[in-house]
Amino acid sequence: MNSNWLRLFLLEWKRLLHSRPAQLAILVSAASPLAGLFLWRSTSADTMLSRYLADPAIAAGTAGGIAFGLLTILELDRPSSSRAGLLTDSVVPPHTMALVRLPALLLAAALITGLTMLLWFPILRSLIGPVFPCTDYILAFLIFMGLALPLGILAAASAYQAAARTDLALAAFLAFAFLSLTVWADSWQLCWLNPCVWALSDDFTNFRIFRSVAYMRLTWLGALAGAWTLSCCCIRRYQKGCFASFALNVRRIRRPALALLLLLGAGAAYRLQPMVDHGNPDQTVMSFFELPFLDGIVCTGRTAKVVPDTSAGTVTGTAAYQFRRSAAAEPQELAGPDPQTGQQLPAAQHTQTPQPQTAAFGINPGYTVFSVQANGKDVPFSVSSYQEFNEAMLTAELPADPEIELTIEYGGFPQENRNLSTMQGNMEISAEYLCLEHGAMAPRLMNVLPDEGNYPADIQITLPSSMTLIPFGPETPERIARHDDGTSTWEYQYHGTGGICYAGDYIRQDIQAGGISIEFYYGRRHQAVMEAAGAPQAVKAAVDYCTSHYGSLSFGSGKALKLIQSRVLGGGYAADGASLLDEADFTAANLSDAGKGTVPGEVMIHELVHQWWGLANMFAPSDGTDPWSAEGLTVYTTYRIVQEQYGSAYAQEHYVRRWQQAVDDYYQDFYVRFPEYLEMLPPEKQTEITNRSSYVRQYCEMPLKIWKAEKLVGGEAAMDQILKQLFQRELDPAYPYLTYEDFLDACGLREEDLDLDSIISL
Amino acid sequence: MDIQIQNLTMTYPNGKQALRGMTLELGAPSFVGLLGPNGAGKSTLLKLLSAALLPTSGSITIDGIPLSQAEHRLRSRLGYLPQDFGLFDELTAAQFLDYMAALKQLRDPKAAVKNALSAVNLERQARTRIRALSGGQRQRVGIAQALLGDPPLLILDEPTVGLDPEERIHFRNLFSQAAQDRLVLLSTHIIEDVQAVCDRLVVLDQGRILFSGSPAQLIRLAQGHVGVFWEQETAQDRNGIPGHGETKGPELHITARVNTSQGIRCRAVAEQLPPFAQEEEPSLEDAYLYLLSREVTG
Repeated sequence: MNSNWLRLFLLEWKRLLHSRPAQLAILVSAASPLAGLFLWRSTSADTMLSRYLADPAIAAGTAGGIAFGLLTILELDRPSSSRAGLLTDSVVPPHTMALVRLPALLLAAALITGLTMLLWFPILRSLIGPVFPCTDYILAFLIFMGLALPLGILAAASAYQAAARTDLALAAFLAFAFLSLTVWADSWQLCWLNPCVWALSDDFTNFRIFRSVAYMRLTWLGALAGAWTLSCCCIRRYQKGCFASFALNVRRIRRPALALLLLLGAGAAYRLQPMVDHGNPDQTVMSFFELPFLDGIVCTGRTAKVVPDTSAGTVTGTAAYQFRRSAAAEPQELAGPDPQTGQQLPAAQHTQTPQPQTAAFGINPGYTVFSVQANGKDVPFSVSSYQEFNEAMLTAELPADPEIELTIEYGGFPQENRNLSTMQGNMEISAEYLCLEHGAMAPRLMNVLPDEGNYPADIQITLPSSMTLIPFGPETPERIARHDDGTSTWEYQYHGTGGICYAGDYIRQDIQAGGISIEFYYGRRHQAVMEAAGAPQAVKAAVDYCTSHYGSLSFGSGKALKLIQSRVLGGGYAADGASLLDEADFTAANLSDAGKGTVPGEVMIHELVHQWWGLANMFAPSDGTDPWSAEGLTVYTTYRIVQEQYGSAYAQEHYVRRWQQAVDDYYQDFYVRFPEYLEMLPPEKQTEITNRSSYVRQYCEMPLKIWKAEKLVGGEAAMDQILKQLFQRELDPAYPYLTYEDFLDACGLREEDLDLDSIISL
Repeated sequence: MDIQIQNLTMTYPNGKQALRGMTLELGAPSFVGLLGPNGAGKSTLLKLLSAALLPTSGSITIDGIPLSQAEHRLRSRLGYLPQDFGLFDELTAAQFLDYMAALKQLRDPKAAVKNALSAVNLERQARTRIRALSGGQRQRVGIAQALLGDPPLLILDEPTVGLDPEERIHFRNLFSQAAQDRLVLLSTHIIEDVQAVCDRLVVLDQGRILFSGSPAQLIRLAQGHVGVFWEQETAQDRNGIPGHGETKGPELHITARVNTSQGIRCRAVAEQLPPFAQEEEPSLEDAYLYLLSREVTG
């Protein structure tokens, strides 16, 4: 870069800043976070960072990308429309001007990104509150907004240089933006303008989703840089048309060669993306779970030494599996899905003498298997290109030895399930949080039965010393070593082929409630919010009440329970001795949601009651119009706990009367009385009204109906008995849901008995 | 700087043939005036010389190097003022010239801008936004950008359009001074602009060179072909002379009609002057018109 070019670039940049369209684009970009706050939500989670950081930053990127795209077309057309190009073209070729104008536009985009970040910093910081993270703020604006603007500029410049007409370029650019906002909106690699970000975590890190969006944006940057370079070959020269100019320009081979290189690079980056697996999109196919077990061989134990690299987001590990053959072994070739096609392989072949067999493991598709050794010798192995449920199948040959130790070395960047590609972020691995599940922790043995020990496993995980390891289950980990590099190795015993563990910068609170020892883990960043919500007291109140009224949780041992606040997941889940609490349920905004409780502690109670009504007893996914969901029983139970804690008058005032008022208002609503008019509204308005209605029906109408049922069945004690029986009922494994019919049957009531028209008379 | 043009032909995609096999040699120092009626091919020739167009056939060489290989060399040594140029209205005159100086990669842009502004009498408007300048002032900014850095080749296409008579004289002299050590090509249809200052004239018509030489040579060419007469005295005699709708007899092109107290005094050119016309000493304009009329007749 010579000084003249730099001087020219700066002059062009100054000229750009003087132009009215540029000033308008800057204004639009700087103001566009407002749209994310009030008009257009791109995320679906209710964490503070989703609402007050991701949404504004994505709105800024989208509006800014479009504004700068339009500005680019107008600015590239300026020399032609003002006829100043006649002067500049006589001094330097038009290609040189293209090389000057593009960086000037890019610098303007960088400037406005920085300006928007500074401008909105105090506003968003005050909205987000104590969980505000500076790093995430900078990354969100740089990636969600900052990288969108160059894409808009490159796309628009490519369109203009190819068409050399403002109207055509505008139409092409707007169509390209429209594709991203509509057809490509649910394709995380294609939505170049509005990235698929469904949630940002308040309490933990967000590097995974930032990486994913940055990867998508950089892939597009390469593609559009290629398109721009190619469009440079179309820049009109000597007053010739597109094709004649192209023929003249491609004589300088470096331009088309560079364009081709960039386009190929972008194509390869698109094809070889490391973020999401290539699993079977048909989630009903479960061929990995249908593999027949090998005959005459059992797994007697396993070990795994796992070392996550929290700065790179990768994992390396060594897993060892011990196998023992029975005396009358009848080895059998692997039958099951073909590693390449997923189709079933031929049936087993029986032999008379022990022969090599093939063990199958499920492993995260992002991992590379470096070596597989059996009893110290390398054995053949392969990893399938067919993937299912976020696993590829690793097959390794087991020798005919009576005792076999199979050691697998593996590692890499874990990929997420393609079916959840619009909800990425769960594979977060950082110094503040990680979650390793099954094949992402260590290869999961799929086709060898256990001996009587049920796959005893010794798991060792080396983490930064600031992190606490929490196995998702009753296991208690032990820190067995502290290393000089600031890491510690944890160890725990486990039974099973897979396993889940969490680790993070957690705060642990031990609570005794309902005869259960509860280990309550929540992120350090959330400490202020949790303390304000009176978390331990709320946990104790809820657990005491629910265990005494409904019984212990079905997924706990009855003596100990881990309550783990997870990174935002879109829901919680539970297993033996552990239950997950989605951080989204404990945001400052959620804790102030009057529909769930009048004070933050009541919302904590509400969320914990979901361990009983929602996790332990499942409810079929609601279609939004159905008032029966986990919320009805949860809100009702919360009311009962609050009544016990704060008295009947308080509970009546803050719960029953509020429900009644909301239901009355609901049935007076114009669109409820005349639903035919609802259909005439724009889709967004329809959705807004439907969501509001759904909220009232689930959070107010159903609790009120349960409250009415309580009166009809004979009071609180009778209702408690009914709910206890429902909670402890025998589950139908084919349909393990608690239905409204189950509830009505248990109450001995009909649906019409709970009509709310007669509520006043009660 | 030497420019050689050989058999230059330019046909536009719409089929219009703007130049037809033109051959010309130009060398510095020289002030060359390009004359010709509208559509003669003057602007096309200048565009070809400034590498804004590619010829259909023929060649242009700059100091012996084909233009296709010497574009960069040409651009770095060219000051060009096209006919219908525009400016960046959002900039001030000085900012625009600074911008152009950067494009031209001038070593001392500040001094070059200052000199150019001074040369076109725009120092007082240096900080005025271009959108606030008058048409004449904008034209002067255009001229200033062409003069930036004292380029060895100056191509000016109708540079004095929009300027008042005083400014035209000023610029005429300015260009004349500039031509003392470089090659200046000035295209115009205003004879006065070239009469006093050009040392060489090239007259074009319909894509061909009708004349190339000094103004004196052109004037000499018209010697004996320019005459004056009283319109009212000779009206009867002129009946039947082509140029007035008739087809017989010698063709007469009236170049001026002056109302005097004695009647209308006509000035005309013709290949052969009619008897009623009194021969006059030709001016450059007479010679130019004679040349064109001869072409039409031919």
